[in-house]
Amino acid sequence: MSAALPALLRSPWLHPLNDTAALDDLLARIRPTWSLRDIRAEVTRVVDETPDTRSYWLAPNRLWRGHQAGQHVQLSLEHRGRRLSRAYSLSSAPSDSGLRLTIKRQPGGRMSGAVHAQLAVGSVLTLGPASGDFVLPEGPAPLFLLGAGSGITPLMAMLRTLAVTRPQADVVLLQISRRAEDTIFRAELDALRSRLPGLRLIRHLSAEQGRPQAEALIAAVADLGARESFICGPDALARSLRQVYAARGWSARFHSESFTGLSVEALPAGETVTVQAAKSEQLFTTDGSDSLLVAAEKAGLSPKYGCRIGICHSCKCVKRSGVVENLLTGEISDRPDQPIQLCISRARSALALDL
Amino acid sequence: MRPTLSLSRAQIDEIEREFDALRNQVLADLGERDAQHIRRTLKLAQSCAIAGRGLLMFGFTPVSWALGVAALSTAKILENMEIGHNVMHGQYDWMDDPRLQSQTYDWDNVCDGEDWRQSHNVTHHTWTNVLGKDPDVGYGVLRVSESQGWRPRYFFQPVWNGLLSLWFQWGVGVHQMDLANRLYTAEGRAELKKTSAPFLRKARKQLVKDYVLFPALALWNAPRVLLGNLAANGIRNVWSNVIIFCGHFPEGTRVYTEAEIANETRGDWYVRQMQGSANIEGGRWFHLLSGHLSHQIEHHLFPDLPAHRYPEIAAKVREVCERHGIPYNTGSFGRQYGSVVKRLFKLALPRSRDRDAGPGPARELAAA
Repeated sequence: MSAALPALLRSPWLHPLNDTAALDDLLARIRPTWSLRDIRAEVTRVVDETPDTRSYWLAPNRLWRGHQAGQHVQLSLEHRGRRLSRAYSLSSAPSDSGLRLTIKRQPGGRMSGAVHAQLAVGSVLTLGPASGDFVLPEGPAPLFLLGAGSGITPLMAMLRTLAVTRPQADVVLLQISRRAEDTIFRAELDALRSRLPGLRLIRHLSAEQGRPQAEALIAAVADLGARESFICGPDALARSLRQVYAARGWSARFHSESFTGLSVEALPAGETVTVQAAKSEQLFTTDGSDSLLVAAEKAGLSPKYGCRIGICHSCKCVKRSGVVENLLTGEISDRPDQPIQLCISRARSALALDL
Repeated sequence: MRPTLSLSRAQIDEIEREFDALRNQVLADLGERDAQHIRRTLKLAQSCAIAGRGLLMFGFTPVSWALGVAALSTAKILENMEIGHNVMHGQYDWMDDPRLQSQTYDWDNVCDGEDWRQSHNVTHHTWTNVLGKDPDVGYGVLRVSESQGWRPRYFFQPVWNGLLSLWFQWGVGVHQMDLANRLYTAEGRAELKKTSAPFLRKARKQLVKDYVLFPALALWNAPRVLLGNLAANGIRNVWSNVIIFCGHFPEGTRVYTEAEIANETRGDWYVRQMQGSANIEGGRWFHLLSGHLSHQIEHHLFPDLPAHRYPEIAAKVREVCERHGIPYNTGSFGRQYGSVVKRLFKLALPRSRDRDAGPGPARELAAA
C-alpha cells in the first residue's frame, strides 16, 4: 500500500472514490491494520518487565518507514471514546523484527493506564512516524548512557543496535531505578553483556542509595569528558546534569531526552497571566475575569466567533499549553494540544493558543 | 394558538440550573457508547452508499434500481442528518478524532460546511425563532407565523413549499445569502458574487459526483445511474425538509421579536428554545433517520450533546416542562406535519394577521 496516491488520483473531481479516510474505513473492515494513511500496528507479544512496566512487541503495516535507535513515536489509541496520544521511545533496535514499546504505568496517567488496561495480543493501535534526534553518533566514539526509570527505553534500543553494528563498542551504562525489582530490562541487559563485551553496567538504586546527585553520578565514570553522553530521565535530573556538563565545557557531547513535560498547575482564579497567541505572534494578559474571547478582543485580536454563549463551537481554538477553566462546567483543561471554546474558557495559567 | 406563559424569575433560574445540571451529567458520562454509536452510523451509511451505488451501476432491472435508490437515499439521509448535522454541531469534538471535528467536517450535499456552521450553528441556534434574525423562519420564502407581514407571493406558498421540499438541499445551500432581497439590486448582486463562492464550489463538486463521475463509471448504464442519483437526492430532500419543518413550524411553536429577547439569561434562552421547537414521536429507526431532529426540543436545548442521547433525557426535559407549565410540543409525525401544512395554507391568506399576538414570556421577563 502506498503512502500517497499519485497526483492524478488525488484530483478533487474523483471524490469520493479517492476519499482516503473512507477507503481506510473499508480496508479496516477487512483487516484492522490495513490503511492508506495511518501506520497501524498489531500487538504480537506482551512482556511484563517489572510490576508496573510492560513491553509490547508490535507488527506495523507497510507504511512504517523504520527508525533509528533512540527515536520515539506518537502512540494513539482510543480510550472511553476519546483519542489519546503520547510519545514513547522505541526500545527495539531497527534490526529487530517488529517494534517494541516499553511503557510504565504512571500513577494517575490516563494514557499509560489505558495502554496497560486495553492493549493485549491482537490489539491494533496507531503510530506516528519515528522522530527525534536523540540518536547514536556515527563513528567509534566511546559512550556514556544514563537512563533513569523508564528513561532506559531509548538506551535499550541503542544497546541492542550496538550489539549488532559495533559489538566492540566502549559503553558505560548507568541505570537508575528505585528498587531492584523496578529495574526495567534487568535480565536483558545482563544477558547483553556477552554480546557487548565493552559494556560496563553501573546500577543505582535510589531507594537504597538515595536520590541520585549529578556530581556523584559522574564521578563514577573517570573518562566522562571523552564520552558522547546520552541522558534520558526526569526533566530535573537532565537539567542538573546539563549544568554540570556545561560547567566543565562538555556541552557538545551532552544529549538528553525527557518526556515528562513540565506539569502546569492551575493558578488561583484572578491571577494575571500572559497569553501567547502563536499565529498572530502577539502576547496579551488577562486576569481571568473575562473569557479568553473577550480578553483577546480587548488586546486587539479578532478571533472567529459565533454565538458567544458556548453553543456553536465557532470560536474553537487549539490550546498548545497551559490551564483553562470552562466557565459553564467548571471543568479544568490542563493537557497540551486541546481544542477549547474561547467564549466560555478563562485562563488559569499562562497559555499558548493557536490564535 | 400561541401559548401564554408567565414564569417567575425564580422559576426561570431554576430551569437554568436544572438544565445545566442535566447537560453536565451527560457530558460527564460521554464515552465508549457515544463513540460506538457514531462509528456504527458511519459504517451503516457507508455500507448503504456502496450497496446503493453498486445496485444502480451494475443492476439492470427496475427492482434493483428501486433498491439502489432506496439504499443510496438512506445513505444520504444518514450522512446528512445523523452524521453531518450532528458532527458539525460539535457533538463529537470531545473524541479528538480529526475526522469528526465540527470545524472541519463537510457533508454530502450542496450546502458548504462553513456556510452551514455560520447560518445554522451560529445564527439559527442563537437566534432561534427571532423574527428578522433567524433565517429559518420561513427560509425567506414562506410565511410560517402571523407576525411575518403578508405579501402577495405568500398566496402561492403551498406551491412554493412543494418546490422547496423537492429542491431542499439547494434551498439550504443558499438560504443564508438572502437571495430574495439581494437579487434585485446591483449592490445586492455584487455582494452575492462575493459570498457565493464557497456554495458554488461545493455545488459543483456535488453535481460532478452524482451526475458526471458515477454515471460515467457506469458506461452504458449511465442514464440509470444518473436518474437513480437524482431520485436519491430528491428523496433525501423531501425527507429532510419534512422533518425540519416539523421542528419549528407546527401549531404551538412561537416566534419572538428582537426586543422580547433583550437581556436574555441562559434560563430565558432555554425557555425560548423549548417554546420554539416541537418533537415528533417515533421508534428508534425513525429517530436515527431524522438525525434525532424528532427530538428538536432536546436538540435546541443541548445542540452539542450527542443526538442519540436525546431520547434518554427527553423524560427529564418533559418533567421539567410540566412542572413549570411549559407546553412540551410533541405528537405523531402525521399530526405534526399535518399541522405545518395547515398553517402554510392558513397563512397564505392575509387576514389571520395579529389574531393571537398575546404577550409572550420573554416580553414579561424583560419587564420583570
